Amino acid sequence: MLINQDLAAFMASPVMIILGTRDGSLAPEIARAVGAVVHREECCVDLIVSEWQWTKTVSNIRANGQLAVTFARPSDYVSYQVKGCAVVVPTAVEHVALAGRYMESMASTLSELGLERGVVAPWLVGRDLVTLRLSAQEIFVQTPGAKAGQLIERQP
Amino acid sequence: MTIRLRDLAACFEGVIPSIIATAAPDGTPNISYLSHVGLVDDERVALSNQFFSKTAANVRANRNAAVLIVDPRDGRQYRLDVTFEQTLDSGELFEEMAIQLRATSTQVGMGEVMRLRGVDIYRVRAVHVVPSPSPTQEVVSREAGHQLMAAAVVARRVAEATDVGSIVDAVLDGLCDTFRSSNAMLLLRDTTGDRLVTVGSYGYDRSGIGSEVLVGEGIIGTAALDRRPVRVSDMSRVRRFSSAVQASSDEESRTRSIALPGMLDAMSQVALPMVAHGTLRGVLFLESSERLAFTKEDEAAFAVVAMQVAAALALAEAEAGEGQSSAPTTADKPMTTGRQFRVVHYAYDDSIFIDNEYLIKGVPGRLLMHLLRIHQWEGRTEFTNREIRLSEELRLPDIKDNLETRLLLLRRRLEEKATPVQLLRVGRGRIRLDLTGSAILEEVA
Repeated sequence: MLINQDLAAFMASPVMIILGTRDGSLAPEIARAVGAVVHREECCVDLIVSEWQWTKTVSNIRANGQLAVTFARPSDYVSYQVKGCAVVVPTAVEHVALAGRYMESMASTLSELGLERGVVAPWLVGRDLVTLRLSAQEIFVQTPGAKAGQLIERQP
Repeated sequence: MTIRLRDLAACFEGVIPSIIATAAPDGTPNISYLSHVGLVDDERVALSNQFFSKTAANVRANRNAAVLIVDPRDGRQYRLDVTFEQTLDSGELFEEMAIQLRATSTQVGMGEVMRLRGVDIYRVRAVHVVPSPSPTQEVVSREAGHQLMAAAVVARRVAEATDVGSIVDAVLDGLCDTFRSSNAMLLLRDTTGDRLVTVGSYGYDRSGIGSEVLVGEGIIGTAALDRRPVRVSDMSRVRRFSSAVQASSDEESRTRSIALPGMLDAMSQVALPMVAHGTLRGVLFLESSERLAFTKEDEAAFAVVAMQVAAALALAEAEAGEGQSSAPTTADKPMTTGRQFRVVHYAYDDSIFIDNEYLIKGVPGRLLMHLLRIHQWEGRTEFTNREIRLSEELRLPDIKDNLETRLLLLRRRLEEKATPVQLLRVGRGRIRLDLTGSAILEEVA
């Protein structure tokens, strides 16, 4: 399976990235990522996350790896959800730089939609960044509407 | 410190999308945005369920979920540990959420897409603050009970008013004084039932008196159709329904309609149905350029005021009286001095143009023509409600319920257009024409 080019470009654009994990007792957890790097050939996505802010999410990934991530464009709610297994990998300098650029462009995108920087700051946190490398197994359309939840790709 | 859900009321205003995470029995997580999360009480929240089918399936197998809500004032995030309890597809809570969703989504052309399937009720087991490096802003909460005190002040002013016009003024001025709302308007239902007509407004560049809204259209029309309050706390998520047509006299004369007044930068709006005696009388509407200007408590206070105004208006109509026949007034000859002005009446829609400018149409238009004609025949300027009702020429529809409203509409429109003919209310059930020129009447079929 390949992540198609359009989708890869979408994931790397200023879209909101939200993560779902769960612990050993199936209690779900929520987090936000501050940047994504798509490796199309390997069919995986690196998600940059503040472990300081989202401690439980990172420990869930260390424990069981199961991850769901939704990419949503705030201007029109176009959304995709990717599910698969993730591991915590060392955060490269490029990842940190990318997170910085992502937070800046996201803040400016949201400010165009009328949200002040002070309001969005708590969602864009760069403290103690870790990288979650997700091997995509399934990709779904998540845009509100009739097609929501439709599977578009699955790892054979 | 334990956080109570009611302290997080701003998070439930639908300004910043909330998030829900669930897990399937095999451990696969699911993460999704939610369009509406409502506060039920200190232990429960209600989630709108339009299409998040995977979430719905997951919580039926594994009832534990996590919900992230955001305070739109400072961006602070709260994570709720929740347990799914049940789905409601009817009842008060369901209706309230369905209307809210419909009012906001029809405006962005998503009415059908956003149709509410059910409201999922979750019990909240714990509330956690998500860590944030940014300082928290101290959000000043308004004094408790403020709304009740303010509503009492407005209610007293309304109660003191004795005619339709002063009731309308009392409520609009009262609300804007006591609730620090910058703009408000009051619309009354036309007897044909399918439209609402603006009879008073506060804070706008133009009054918009005589402008119309179809029942079912936009936030005002939805409140009328469903007879429930509709409130929006962040209009930037809702594209403006009405195009910003520059309202000019030319535009009015061309379309024979008056544009609804509106704030181009409105962020918060609330529309309250006015019901009395089981009948919808109109809609009270307030708006503000501030986000989150109106809380749920404000809405409740406005709703009470709106009902009282409906009752007061119904009473004013019923008690307007028939008026005593007036003694012949000094002006027993038609006004022939002063500037001449042309009044054209188009019979097909009863629209009136004075010196080529559109004034009004429908019954108020027919009323004005009738009064001017009698003035020309008899020289008389005073009239009683009784003779208007009995007039065969007027062929009035069943307007016994709202003759006063029609006269108010006509009076205010004449005032606004500063025409050489004005209408005055001179006592219970009595009105007077005030002319500063001589009218040339013209009939067009």
